[in-house]
Formats: sequence, structure tokens, C-alpha cells
Amino acid sequence: MTIAHSEDVLKALMLLSLDGDEAAYRRLLTTLRVLLVGYYTRRMGAATKADMEDLVQETLLSLHSRRTTYDRDRPFTAWFFSIARYKLIDHHRGRGGRRLAETELGEELESGFSEEALTARLDVERLLDGLTPRQQELIRQVKLEGQSISDTADRVGQSESAVKVSIHRTLKALGERMRGGS
Amino acid sequence: MRDTDRMINDLVRDLRPVPRHALRDRFLLGLLPALAVSLLLMLAILGLRSDMREALMLPVFWIKSAYNALIALVALWATYHLARPDGAEGGFFKMGAAIVLAMAIAAAVQLVTSPPEAYGQLILGSSALHCPFLIFAFALPVFAGISWVLRKGAPANLRLTGFIAGIAAGAAGAWVYSWFCTENGMPFVLIWYSVGILVVGALGALTGPRLLRW
Repeated sequence: MTIAHSEDVLKALMLLSLDGDEAAYRRLLTTLRVLLVGYYTRRMGAATKADMEDLVQETLLSLHSRRTTYDRDRPFTAWFFSIARYKLIDHHRGRGGRRLAETELGEELESGFSEEALTARLDVERLLDGLTPRQQELIRQVKLEGQSISDTADRVGQSESAVKVSIHRTLKALGERMRGGS
Repeated sequence: MRDTDRMINDLVRDLRPVPRHALRDRFLLGLLPALAVSLLLMLAILGLRSDMREALMLPVFWIKSAYNALIALVALWATYHLARPDGAEGGFFKMGAAIVLAMAIAAAVQLVTSPPEAYGQLILGSSALHCPFLIFAFALPVFAGISWVLRKGAPANLRLTGFIAGIAAGAAGAWVYSWFCTENGMPFVLIWYSVGILVVGALGALTGPRLLRW
């Protein structure tokens, strides 16, 4: 995840792809694939890896076969994640887990997987690009995915206090960068 | 993982430029011939209404025509948006309700200004029983056309999209039928035409989840 996945970048790639630019299309698909893994991981608790890979493939395939439905004057990420969401519902429905899917989606709508939320997330990703991989990992796990400090410390093989200090410093640095940047 | 790599390669190789108005063009391509088929069937099987010349001078004829045409256009516009995964029905239900309300006012005005003896003719006419069935029949070509379009689309809400697409097809079928139908009662149109249109809407809502799945 070292590319800046902003709406602007993805939309520019999509527009080039619609005009037949193969290099842009390849970049678009590889970037979206990574985003999709994140998207589905957060929403499919007990899913197997194979299921997940299926869904990612199906979603990319749908992007391809349904690309005439993209309106060039509208945001790309909203369009694309509508496909991802549809494929997720369809996946649950296929396994007779309709009710489950509806509950999960209800919650998702409550918590607002909206365009703004996504754009905010994309901005965060872009901000994280400037950090070292270790710093990125810590921020991602603790601040974005909401995992506990102690679990994270175990996973990365550091003491809890070292993790805390590291996160604190990183956030401070990010804060300074944002103030400087804006 | 390697599968996905291979698939991305295939998709890139399969990339063809997409014209800017590809979706709109597909709607036109699916709908115009379907509407033509429906009109030709009507002309071939039923023919224009026998009193066409006089009817063209009657406001009620044009109100009837406009009622169906407006519902068809509003529903078609919503269907066009719903064909996109991030699309919504917009103000479809509000606009549809406004059109029906306007028709209800026209019907009330006609009833109030007519003698009670005319009510039977204005409400039931002479074709109330077969009117909805004929509307349904003339809507079927349009329904097939719009389904063909949507099956290449990406609607996220299949039942709603099916319902509104069915309303569009039903209203188009009703508009076609209105060139044959000799009823001049506004209450008749409000009731029996709407029933015909709604039945096609119900067909769309019932078949949508299977027919439009992608």
C-alpha cells in the first residue's frame, strides 16, 4: 500500500482505462485489488482465504464487464465500492445467509461507509505513505483497525510501552506534517 | 493469488475503449425497437381508435396520452440511474405521485361537471375488464427490451430496479394502447390504466432479483 489511493488518482486511471489505456488499466486493477482485500477483510469475519480471493476476482471482473455504467462526471470510488458492496451481498445471499448479510449491511450503513468516509480513509492512507513500514503497521493496527496495544505488541515483537511510545511519536509527527501541509 | 494476477492480465488484454455515452446508447438501442414492435402490433392487431379524427381534437385524449407518456418517461429516467451501481431512483416516487394526483384532479373535475348518469361510462366504460390485460400485452415487448438493457447494467437494488423498469414498460404499453382505446373517461384511465401499469411493475419486482442479477 505505498501508492496514493486518492479518489483523484483512481478516477484519472479509470478515465484513461475507459479510453483504452492498458498501462493505466493495469495500475488501476492492481491498486483496487489491494483495496478490495482490505475492504472484504474488514467485512467477512469467518471467510476463508479462497472465498475472499473469489470475491476480489468477481469484483474486478464486474468492474470490467460493467464499466459502461460508470458515469465520468461522478466519483469513481463511490461507483466502485457500490460494486464491491453488491458483490458482498450477493455472496452472502448465495450461501443462504441473506439475513446475516442484511444485518451486517445495516450496521455498515449506520456506521456510514460513505463516500466521505472512504475519501477520509484514502487521505489517511496517503498520509501514512510518508512513514516507515513499521510505523505504518502500528498506526494501521492500533488506530485504524482498533486492535489492542498488547495484541499488537505481541504481534510485532515489541514491548507494550515501546509500541505506545512509537505510536505517540508517529502521531505527533503526522500532526506536524498536517499543519505544515495545510 | 496467482489466479488473480492471471485474471488481471486477461482483463487488461481484453480492454476496449468505451464511448462516453455507452449506457445511454444501449438504452436507446434496447427501447426504441421494442416500442416500435409494440406500436406495430397494436396497429396490426387492433388498429387506431375508430373515431381517431375527432379524438385528436379532444383534450381528454391528450390528457390520457400524456398521463402514460409522463409516467413512462419519469420511470425510464429513474431506471437509467438505477442501472448504475451507485445510482438512486431520485425523485421517482414523488414525481409519479404528482402525476397520479394530477390525473385524479382531472378525473374529479370531469365527474363533477358530468351528470350522474354518465358516471358508469366514465368509470367503467365498456372495456374496463380487458383494458389492463391489453396494456400488459403491449407492455411485454418494452419489458423485454428494458430487461435486455438492464442485464448489461449493474443495478444494486434488483427488486426496486425491476419494479420501476416494469412501471416504465407498463406505461409505455399503456401509451401504445391509448391510440386504440376509445374510452374518454378520466376516472377510467386513472383506475384501469394504472392497474395495467402496476401489474407490469409487479412483474418487474417479482422477476428483478433473478432476471437482473449480475
